[in-house]
Order: sequence, then C-alpha cells, then structure tokens
Amino acid sequence: MNVTRRDFVKMCAVGAVSAGISSRYFQIASSQTSGAETSEIKFVRSTCSPNCTGACAYNAMVYKGRITALIQASDYPESEYSPRGCLKGQSMMNLIYGPDRLKKPLIRTGERGEGKFRAVSWDEALDYVADKLTEIMKKYGPESIALSIQVPGTGYVHKGAAIRLASMFGWSVLHGYTMNGDLPAFWSQTFGVQTEELESLEWTNSKYIAVFGSNLLVTRLPDAKFLSIARERGAKVIMVDMNFTPTAAKADEWIQINLSTDAAFALGIVNVIISEKLYDENFVKTYTDLPLLVRLDNNKKLRAQEVKALKDEAEKMKKEIPEYRDLFVVYDVSRGFSIVNPETLERDFEPALEGEFEVELVDGKRVKVKPVFQLIKELVTTEYTPERVAEIITPPGRDKAEYARMVVRIAREMATTKPLHIVYGASNYQWFHGDLKGRALSLIIALTGNLGKPGAGISTYAGQFKIRWPLGMWWLFKGRKPNWVTYLLWMNEEYRNSEEFKKYNRETPYPKNGVKAFVFGWNNPFDQHNMANKLKEMAKSGELELILAIDFQSTTSTQWADVVLPGVAWYEKYELTATILHPYVQLQQPAIEPLFECMPEIWIFKELAKRLVERWDDQELKAQIEEFYPDPSLFRKEENARANGAWNLKLAREIANEASLKATELMLGKHDLTKGITLERLLKEGAVRLNLPAPNKRQILFWEQIHEKKPFPPPSFPAPLPKTARFVKSGRIEFYKDEDVFIDFGETLPVHKDPFVDTEWKRNPESRNKYRYAFITRNALYRVHSTHSNNITMLELQDFRPRIWMSPETAREKGIKQGDLVEAYNDRGRVRGYAVLDSGIHPSVIIFEQGWWSRYLRGDSYNTLTYPWVKAIHLAYFVPGIWEPTTVWNECACDVRKL
Amino acid sequence: MVRYGMVIDLNRCIGCRSCAVVCKMVNAQPPGTWWQRVETVGSEEHMVPVGEYPNLSEVFLPVPCMHCENAPCVKVCPVGATWTREDGLVLVDFERCIGCRYCITACPYGVRQFNWQDPDENVRQGFERAGFDSNWYADGEYRYGYPVDHRTEDGRLVYTNKRPRGVVEKCTFCVQFVDQGISPACVRGCPGNARIFGDLDDPDSEISKVLKDRSAFRLLEDLGTEPKVFYIPPARKEGKGGVRYGEKI
Repeated sequence: MNVTRRDFVKMCAVGAVSAGISSRYFQIASSQTSGAETSEIKFVRSTCSPNCTGACAYNAMVYKGRITALIQASDYPESEYSPRGCLKGQSMMNLIYGPDRLKKPLIRTGERGEGKFRAVSWDEALDYVADKLTEIMKKYGPESIALSIQVPGTGYVHKGAAIRLASMFGWSVLHGYTMNGDLPAFWSQTFGVQTEELESLEWTNSKYIAVFGSNLLVTRLPDAKFLSIARERGAKVIMVDMNFTPTAAKADEWIQINLSTDAAFALGIVNVIISEKLYDENFVKTYTDLPLLVRLDNNKKLRAQEVKALKDEAEKMKKEIPEYRDLFVVYDVSRGFSIVNPETLERDFEPALEGEFEVELVDGKRVKVKPVFQLIKELVTTEYTPERVAEIITPPGRDKAEYARMVVRIAREMATTKPLHIVYGASNYQWFHGDLKGRALSLIIALTGNLGKPGAGISTYAGQFKIRWPLGMWWLFKGRKPNWVTYLLWMNEEYRNSEEFKKYNRETPYPKNGVKAFVFGWNNPFDQHNMANKLKEMAKSGELELILAIDFQSTTSTQWADVVLPGVAWYEKYELTATILHPYVQLQQPAIEPLFECMPEIWIFKELAKRLVERWDDQELKAQIEEFYPDPSLFRKEENARANGAWNLKLAREIANEASLKATELMLGKHDLTKGITLERLLKEGAVRLNLPAPNKRQILFWEQIHEKKPFPPPSFPAPLPKTARFVKSGRIEFYKDEDVFIDFGETLPVHKDPFVDTEWKRNPESRNKYRYAFITRNALYRVHSTHSNNITMLELQDFRPRIWMSPETAREKGIKQGDLVEAYNDRGRVRGYAVLDSGIHPSVIIFEQGWWSRYLRGDSYNTLTYPWVKAIHLAYFVPGIWEPTTVWNECACDVRKL
Repeated sequence: MVRYGMVIDLNRCIGCRSCAVVCKMVNAQPPGTWWQRVETVGSEEHMVPVGEYPNLSEVFLPVPCMHCENAPCVKVCPVGATWTREDGLVLVDFERCIGCRYCITACPYGVRQFNWQDPDENVRQGFERAGFDSNWYADGEYRYGYPVDHRTEDGRLVYTNKRPRGVVEKCTFCVQFVDQGISPACVRGCPGNARIFGDLDDPDSEISKVLKDRSAFRLLEDLGTEPKVFYIPPARKEGKGGVRYGEKI
C-alpha cells in the first residue's frame, strides 16, 4: 500500500482528538471513582460479532480516545450467560489498531493480487467504482454483479445496507451460508426450515447430550461451559467423532468412528429403538410422516386424490388448504384409508405404523402401499443391524464385536434418558452426504419424541445465518428484490454444463452473462472461499471486470481487489445484532471514532447508491434516492453540507450514526418477536430477549408445532412461508422424500453412503489409491475463520506457524516426525505446515486449521485442495441459503509428504 | 483481615486461554511476556491428547501467580521489592526492583517474567516475527493495556503499562482492579466460569464455601509454599455404562 507514514500520523491525530464522541446515545457502563486519571477511563458496552456469531457483550475500556482493553460486559439478564466472550474478542484491539488497518480508500496500480495501490480520496474511489459498476450493469445486466457479505445476523444495519443497495438494481447476492457450507441441508428436507437449535442455556436441562462431530469447546467458546454444567447436573455427554478433541476430553465417553459414517451409526441406533420398541408411538403418529402411506409401484407417497374412495373428499379439502400443501393418506385401524389434514397436527386418526395394504386408485388400478414406518423398519432390520453397522463404523484395528455391542448400549441409553439433545457439528455435515447423516440423526430425535421440551432436540450451531424476524423494511429498497447466484455453480462451470444439472435443476438461477463484477464486504474470499485459486484465476484472466472490497483491514482479498473501501470495526459504529444460539437482540455502539478515513458501511453503500443512480437510467430510483437513509432528511442534510462546503468526514459519520440508529428503530417492534424491544431499551438494558413462543421466551425448537399443533414448518425469515412450506407438504416432520431426484439417487429414506464414492472417486477413479486421506479443515482456537489470522497475540500462541495434524501411524508410514515441515496436497493444490503427531486422530485423516491467510502459508491457500461438489438433491428447489447447493469442505481427498 | 485467593475449577476450564489473553491485554504485556499460561498437562502441544487409545485425555491447567502465603520469591528479594501485602497479594514494586532475578529462580511455578529490554523492543520483534517490517501498529503510538499507573496506599508502584527495562513482573491478581473492588480480569474474562476470586478469611464468601464443599488441591503442595490458588480436580467420568439399567428395560 502506498500510504505514507506521514499520512498515518496525520490521521492518528484526527483519531485522538475525537476522544469523547459526545452522543446522546453514548452509554457509560460504569466509571471509576478515584483519581483524576482513572476518571478519564470510560467504558462503552458493545457487542463483539465476527462470524462465530457469538455476539458477546463487551465493555470497551476507552482512554483518551483509544480502546485500551476489552473485557466481557457480563450484563446478560440470565446471569448464567455471563461472561460471554473469548481470547479473540479480548484481543480485538490488535486488529483495530494493527498494522493491517486500512486508512484511506485505495485504487489498484499494479497487477491484480500484487498489492500495489494508491491512496485516493473518497470521492475519487466512489466515482471510480460507480463508473465501472454502471458500465458493467449496462453491458451484462445488473445481475452480473455478485455481492458477497457474511452473516447478516451479526449486523442488521450495515450488512442490510449492502443488500438494500443490491435490491435497488437487482444485483445477484451470493448467499454466504451455502458458500460457507454452513447450511445443514437435512433441516429443510426434514423439518422445512433453514435451521433450528436449542439456546445453549437449555443444554443444562438435558439429561443426555450426544455430540456428533462438533468441537464445542473450541468453536463455541462462550457456550461450552453449559456442557460442563449439564454434566454437573447429572447429564451424560457422549462425543461421536473420528478424532479426539477437547470436547471429547470433556465428554463422559468418546466414540471414535470411521469418517462420515454417522448415518450408519444413527440407523443402527434406530434399528435397536424400533426392534426393542423404545419409540414414542404417540409422537411418531402425531408429528411425523411415519404413518403416511407410500406406493410400492412408484415410490411416491400416496396422495388422497389418487385414491378412488377418497377422491371426492380430497377435492373438497384441497380447496381449503394452501397450494403448498398436499393431502396424504394413512391407514386408520378402524376407518381404513383416511386423509391427513396437513394444516394441523391435531390427530383425529389412529394410523397403522406397520403392515402392507392394497388400495384402489381412481383408474381402478390396485397398488400396494406401506407406511413410512414400515419401510424404515425394513431398511434398518436388513441393512443396519448392529453387526452390519459395526462393519461400517469401526475404525481400523478396533474390535467390531465390541462396536456392535456399543451400538446397542448407546441406542438404549439415548432412547431412555430424556431429555436427549443431539448436537450435529458442521465439520460433520460438510460432507457430500451430510444431509443423509442429519436426516438419520433427526430420526432418533423423532422416534424418541425429543422435541418441544426443555433440553430436547437436535441442533446445528454453524453459520447462524438465520434472520430472527422479517427485515424487508430496511433490507429491501422500497420493496425491490435482489437476484441470487449460487457460489458453487459460479465456481463449477463443468457441473453447470452437465446433464445432471440440466436434468435436476428446477429453480436455481444463474446470471445469463455470468458473474462479471465481485463486490464483497466482511469476508476474505480469496483465502476462505472454496477454490480460492479459481477466484484468483478469474481475477487474473480479467473474467471479473471489477473487484471491490470493503473491509476495515487489509486482507489477502483486499490485495486482489481493484478498489478497497475502508469500513469500520465494531466499536466504531452503531449496529444491531441478533444472532441465534443465544436469543438476544443487542447493539454495537461506538467506543471510539473510526480511525483514519474509515467510514461506517451504511455511508459507503449510501454513497455508492447515490452515485449509481446518477449514472443509471431509472427515473423512479432517481426520485427516491433520498430514501436510502431511513430518514430522507439525513440524506439531504449531508447533501446540503456538501453544496455549501461544510461537508467533512466527521459530519458524514455523525449523520451515518444517526441513520444507523434510525434503521435500527425501523427494524424493531414491527413483528411479534420484537414487540416491546426498543432502541431505548437496548441502550439501557444491553441485551433484550426476543419474544420467543416457549415459556420464559426460551429458544426451544418447534415449541409451537409440538404444543400448539401448528403444522411444520415455522417460517424461516426472510423467505415467505409458502416458499419453505412446500419442502414438507404434509405439514409434518418428513423422513420419506419423494421428489424424483430423491428416488433417482436412492435417498427417499435416510441411508448411509460412503464418502468420496460419489465425488472424488467418481470424478477421478485414480484418486482412490493416490489420495487415501481426508483433508479436514477444522476451526482453530485462535481465529474466527480467517478473522484474527493477523492478530499478533493469537500468532504468538501458535508460535507464528501453521500446523498439520496427523496420527502417529500416518507419520510413521510417511517418515514424518513431530515439527517437520510437511505438505498436504492433491491434484488441485497444496498447503504446507509443521507436523503435529496426535494419537487422537483417525489414521485416514489429515487436519489443517482453516483461516490462515496465504501470507502465512508461503502464498498457498488451503482452499486450493477443496472442490465445489454439487449434490443434485440440493437443486430440487431454490430458496437462497435455505435450499441451495452447499459447500462440503471435508469431501476432499489428499496425501501428505515430508518436504 | 481480607486474604485474597482464587479457585480454578478444572472441570469448568475449557483450555481456551482467554484468561491468559485478557491478562496480557489488560496488563499491557508485550509479545513474549505472559503472566499466565494454560497448557495441556503432559502434552507438547496445547489441545493434543496424552495417552494411548482408548485412554486419551486432555487436562487443561491454567497457571497464574499462586500468591503463596509462604512465598519463596519474597524471601529471596534482597531489596524488599517483592512483598506480600496485608491482603495476601504478592506484588512487585517496579521502582525498587533491581533486576537481580533471584525471585525468578526461587519461584517453583515459573510465573515471573523479566524485562530484558524495553517492552517496545518486544513489540517490534513480535511484529517482525509475524512478518511485518516497521509499522507495528497502524496508529503508531497505540499500546493496549490498563492506561493508568497504580500505586498501593503506601505509594509503591505496582502497576504501570510501560514497565522499565530490567524489572521483574508477574500476575498481581490485577491489583489495580482489586483495589477498586473489582475482580481480576481473568476471573471476569473466563467464558468457562471456572474461576472464583475472593476472601479466604470470610467464611461466607463464595470462595470459602466452595473450598469447604469440594476437594481442592494446590500445585507443588509439598514444597510448603502455601499457594492461595486452589484447583478443583477434574471429576471422574461416567464412562461406559454411566447410565445404568437393569437387565431389562
């Protein structure tokens, strides 16, 4: 970067002078009493919210305009939650003030990726970007601009402003949830929702916690204590994972299984539950599709309108139900074939769960049908006996008979110790058949009736993209809508052109002229995205005509951008956060004025919008542009200041702060979930609980379905209900999926499928022998994905060097010793690090901790090894971030060698 | 009389090192200096298990200054720079310390650190190792840490954010906070709620109650140093068959 040292010093002065930003909203949590100097220390409560989505309350200790320390605020209404926060949040000053902090807008002068820029004025940078974007929009259409932001739940105002801008022109938004692989596809397939979970405080109400491949002690630091507290209260915790982890160390029992074989294990458990009749019959009949009948001739569920005897009734009922519902049939033990009302879970029938029946269709044809339960029973009693399961899951060299006995024992424990909570980890579902594993685990929960109760259910805790309430009033500009582009399809032209894609794609859009401009904020795609190398190629070849980065610090990705616009860190702005895992709405508040020339992002997007509208032929937008800020008078105030020469950064920031608060107010109080939650309350109380339906407003999944008998699914915001309700047309928890693609791929019911068979080995049969290890890129204690990669304190804790973990067995075979420089590689790429021998690691696994910027990796990226696999089932519908192809990082074969 | 002590519950400790980091940040420790450490017992690498399958284990052990009742460091200090305050805190007077480092040799817990050089030199070297050349902090004068010097009632300098070259430093139980009635940063910063800080002489304090109810141990107890940091050992696991059933369910 070509910003001179003198510039820094000048800008520092600006930062320092503006010590006590006087604002009516400023909240001083507490102040010290003795001494003139200590009284100058102020505390400002804000919310740390990187992409862990922990949203932890912090007090910033501010002295003479600088943050000198950050300590957890510990002011949650439920004191059990305090203190939330971890080593990364505590050392965030290293990023805010660190050497990579951006100072001024930058325009590239060298080649792409070279990192050569000139510092320019905001006007020059914004006009340059607006010119380029307009040119691209005119040439290829607005949908050729891809916008990537990360986890909007961590920033409803500023990240919302980015979407607002995209919606004005119809840019294509790239959903981070699927790009990150955080979407657990089984949720939409089984429950019709994006995700659900217990808040971590609820863990303490569980009596049995079964963690399937989630390293909560590292990835959920502020919540991990609830595992310990649950154990103190008598819960048993088991950890099922191919590798030993700190979470396994805390668990009562660690069960090591082979890679990605959890579905087999779960179905073995289902086998025992069914054969020993340990299931909750009433629950199964009331809430699931297990009593619904399936036609044996075509593998489709039997629809009422197909049945001769039910046709008239079905036609009448059909008029009374929404079009996203369907009428299915059960065999009532006293009334025979009966229609199930999909709009309620009040049960007025007594269905047979087992057996085979013959039904006469409208055309007179007689076909055989069986309840889903019967099909599951047949499946597990033939394919998933404890002995057969042991064949699949037992790691090399272990006793299979012991594993078979273990399956039976764990099944009995899980079925009879209630409430049972299953945590399904992202590292575990980020495999090609991750959805099958989730469906199988959900089946355990449904069979045992562990839903709608404190401490019961199944949870996934990655990504946390779920929006807590509808936000269209701010995110969408006057009701306009953005377009969408699926990241995996963008990266995978081969698949986009494949027969499979053409055959199975129903709704997934793709910009007709491709992606020509890439705009991103709050993320680091050139390290973190799947196939980071492909992105770099697109940058180098010029296929991408504009790359625009918005960040508060210089990252690998800003180095690849054409223009870099300096945003701000939390502690420098007002922002509204409401992430899941804990159910609070909180604010971020400025503790300091933005450093240097950094600007709140809402201002950046407003300025871009204004300048684009000037260049774009849309009279309606031209007339409405003042409304980009939620209060048009704020927009005018700044324009007036510009006109009469009174404009400066400080004024623009003050107006942006006001606008941020207005946007916050706009989003609050409009929905039942936020009724009574006001800006004033947030400023006074810190964290305010959402109005969730369960007692004490607790986050307990599907409370309304189980207790109020509302049909599945509850809405997944921001998607309208009809878009997601069609995933579960029966209004029930569905284990039998009958869309053609499920039938074609043999996945109507949850089954186990081995890793790599449908991916690596199919694409390149040689890889089976060449690359015998799975390349697992787990989360590190020292980073939130790639955030904090450059945090000097975190680097110090890692001796400044990346590591590659492997089992001592692998090391022996490869002639590798502890501390050796080694390389994990495949045909696509490589990454280097220092070997750590870990006897808790499965002999077929190589581990790298994701998030290292390439500058610490000798220029490599660990995402050169990964591949954008697309599973056809994920094309059956398209609802962005809810039903969409999702990245499967761990479906990646590699080898390792000493360098 | 108040006598401060700390309990660390190893069941609750998740090994996350937040205590070490918040301590470092709040107490202005430059790269290379750590007043507290958290390690995996018996392992060369943090969070890598010890033992052979299936008996693998990871026990995390945070080690702050023990603030010993019978502190060896106090005994060997030739100038009275290290002393035990009436409330039990073992402190270093930065203005009196002559840098002889006898205390470092005497401390069996290895928690004392010596300023071989100006802390800014540590900062420079740290950033150099991290791959940065000169511009350590973008805001050049920025340094993290509690910004105000702290002296005891009798005027001894026990906290300053810029420690001079040639003095010994260590965990003070955050004396600058304790003197304001606020708990040490590591206690407030522990997301595992593993730490309890309080008055060992007050039978009604939380710490006294916990120590009465639960078995606790201290590090290297046989040396007779009488540490005031107590550890609650990790509980036995339920393990296989931890949920018990009769023959029939």
